[in-house]
This record gives sequence, C-alpha cells and structure tokens, in this order.
Amino acid sequence: MSLWRKIFTMFRARATEAGEAVVDANALRILDQEIRDASEALRKSRDDLTTMMAQRKLSFNKVQPKQNKIAEYSGFIEQLLDRGDEALAREVAQKLADLERETEADVQLLGQFDSNIEILKKSILQAEGTISRLKQQVDSVKATENVQRAQAALASQHSGTNTALRTATDSLERIKQKQLERAAKFDAAKELEHFGGDHDLQAKLATAGLLENSSSADSVLARFKTRASLSASTAPLRLDKPSANDR
Amino acid sequence: MASLWTTQNLYEALSASELSLEGKIELNDGLEPNISVQLSEFGDLPVQITVSGAQLMVSSALWEASQVKDLARFNEAALKLNPVNALSNIGLITLAPGRDLYIMFGELSASSDLPHIIEEIRVLADNTIEAAEVFSDQLIPSPANTTGAAT
Repeated sequence: MSLWRKIFTMFRARATEAGEAVVDANALRILDQEIRDASEALRKSRDDLTTMMAQRKLSFNKVQPKQNKIAEYSGFIEQLLDRGDEALAREVAQKLADLERETEADVQLLGQFDSNIEILKKSILQAEGTISRLKQQVDSVKATENVQRAQAALASQHSGTNTALRTATDSLERIKQKQLERAAKFDAAKELEHFGGDHDLQAKLATAGLLENSSSADSVLARFKTRASLSASTAPLRLDKPSANDR
Repeated sequence: MASLWTTQNLYEALSASELSLEGKIELNDGLEPNISVQLSEFGDLPVQITVSGAQLMVSSALWEASQVKDLARFNEAALKLNPVNALSNIGLITLAPGRDLYIMFGELSASSDLPHIIEEIRVLADNTIEAAEVFSDQLIPSPANTTGAAT
C-alpha cells in the first residue's frame, strides 16, 4: 500500500533528525491528503453517476415512443397487406426498418449506460471503503499520539525525582513483593494456628486425659484401674462416660 | 451500529463497574483526555485507555529502550512474541528526543461493550506483567541506571 510507504519514508526522514516524536502531525497530514483525494474521487464518481443515470433516462424515454410506433406500423402493414395495397405497405415497411435500426442502436446505448453505471457504483463503494479505512488509520495515529502524550506526561512527573517511569518491571516487582508478603503471612498464620490455636487445645485436652492416645500419668493410672475392675466385674469402659466426676 | 464511547462516558462506566473495586480509575483531563486504570492484582500497573473516533486503544508502559541490554536481540524476541501473543502488541513510542518507550497495546472498536473493554484491560495488564517476567533477563536490573539520559 502506497500509504505505508509514505509513512515509512517519513519515519526514515525523521529518524535522522534528532529523535522527533515518530508519529506526529506529518503522518496526520499525509492521511488527511489521502482522505481529501479519496473523497474528491468519490464526489466525482457520484457526479458522473448522476449524469449517466440522467442520460440513460433520456435515452430510455426516446426508445419507448419508438417502440410504440413500431407496434403501430406493424399493425398498418398487416392491414395494408390484407387489403392488397402492397405499395403503401412497402412505404410503411421502409419507415419500420429505419425505426428498428434506430431502436436497436438505442438499446445498445442503454446497455452501455447500464454497464457504466454498474462500474461507477462499484468504484463508489470502493472509494467509500478506502475513506473509512483511512479514517480508521487517522484514529490509530491519533490514539498513538494520545498514548505518547499520556506516557510523556507520566514520564515528566518522574523526571524531577530522578526515578525512571513506572513501568511493567516495577509492577512485576510489586507483585512479587506482595506474593512474598502473602506467603509470609500464610506461614505466620499457620504457625499461629499451630501454637496458639488447635495445638494448644489438644495439649490441654491431653493433660486433662480426655484423648485416647494421650499418656498423662492420670490416664495411665486410670487404664490400670479399669483393667483391674474389668477383671473383677463387668464395669463399663472408661471412655464411655468421660465426665469429670467419673474419673 | 452501536454508539461509540467517548473518553468521558467510558470513564463513568468503568468507575461504576466492578473494576473500580479492584484498583484506581482516573480521568486525566485535557485536550485529549485519557483514562488511567491501576489494578492491584497487576501490581498497580498503569493502563492507559484512550478513545479516538471509532477506535479505542488500551496500552501500558513496558520499559524504556535505555533499560534494554541488547536492543537488537530484544527487538527480535519481541517481534517473534507478537504473533504468538495475539491479543496484545508490543510497540515503541518516543517520549522525548532520545527517549523511547516500549509499550504493550491492544485496539478495540469504540463501539465495543463494557465487559469486552474490561476484559481487554485485564488481558493487557496480565500480558504486560508476563512480558516483564519473560524479558527480565534482557533488562538492566537497577532502575537507577535508566534515569533520563538515554545515550
């Protein structure tokens, strides 16, 4: 696309000058010119189309009465031949032949108009497409310019503080930092749970002798007592009634 | 065709959306206003949104050219990454004479609906962070080296 070449040529020219903004008014000027050219072409095509359709209508209007005449003359010839007036029939036939030739030419012309009209309509569609594509490109250039301006504004906020522009790397750093913090918090929470939470309770329960596999002095003793009483009578199993009185 | 967003009404819609709970949304007013979105999920990476005519551009700053160890090598890698990473493109803009900035950007129709735009913002931020991770070994580590003076 020749537009690309133009913009690239401009980039090269710019690159040699000490780093002007790459996408600048020049790109817009080029696009602006392209749009003007395309809409000029479009306007001309539309004018041509209007003219051609008018001309077609005129030709068409001329054909209709001729065709009426042809029908009329044909009727005359039939009647004259019926009456046997061959001489007059021949005269009318001459006229009819002329008319038929003329209308044939007219119909051909109409056909030409029709195909030209088709071509014009196509080129109008094409020009409209070109223009909307160019306008999209203008939007892209403007958007890029806008981004450039926004980033430059951000950069200038940082220029005084001797720090680089906040970019992806900084944000990545931030995310990693956050993840580390989160991991540390998680570990801390786990430890807390371990020491302060459940574990503490378990320990207390164990000391209280209420856990099956806890082995406090009391529970060991109790086990022996139970065994002794079991051999004596059929006392219920200790842990069936784990109330404090029962101990 | 659906109606086109303007920067102003897009800002209002974003501010009213769920996105506003996940970070900061600001309107930088001016002749050509733009919207800046910083989501905490993506390390408060500033994502710029600009509306120009029928086009909406979402972009974020990768890093300055002066932060890249080997420009030719990085450029090649970035070009190779581009077709693979279909949703966002890497580009280069000039901030000031001798100061180039790599950006990641995506373009949408300005008639896109809000969920699509929000999705694009998230995808772009995510891709930018991914790029920062992938290319970290090609960048000069200390940000102190990069201040202002680009060659």
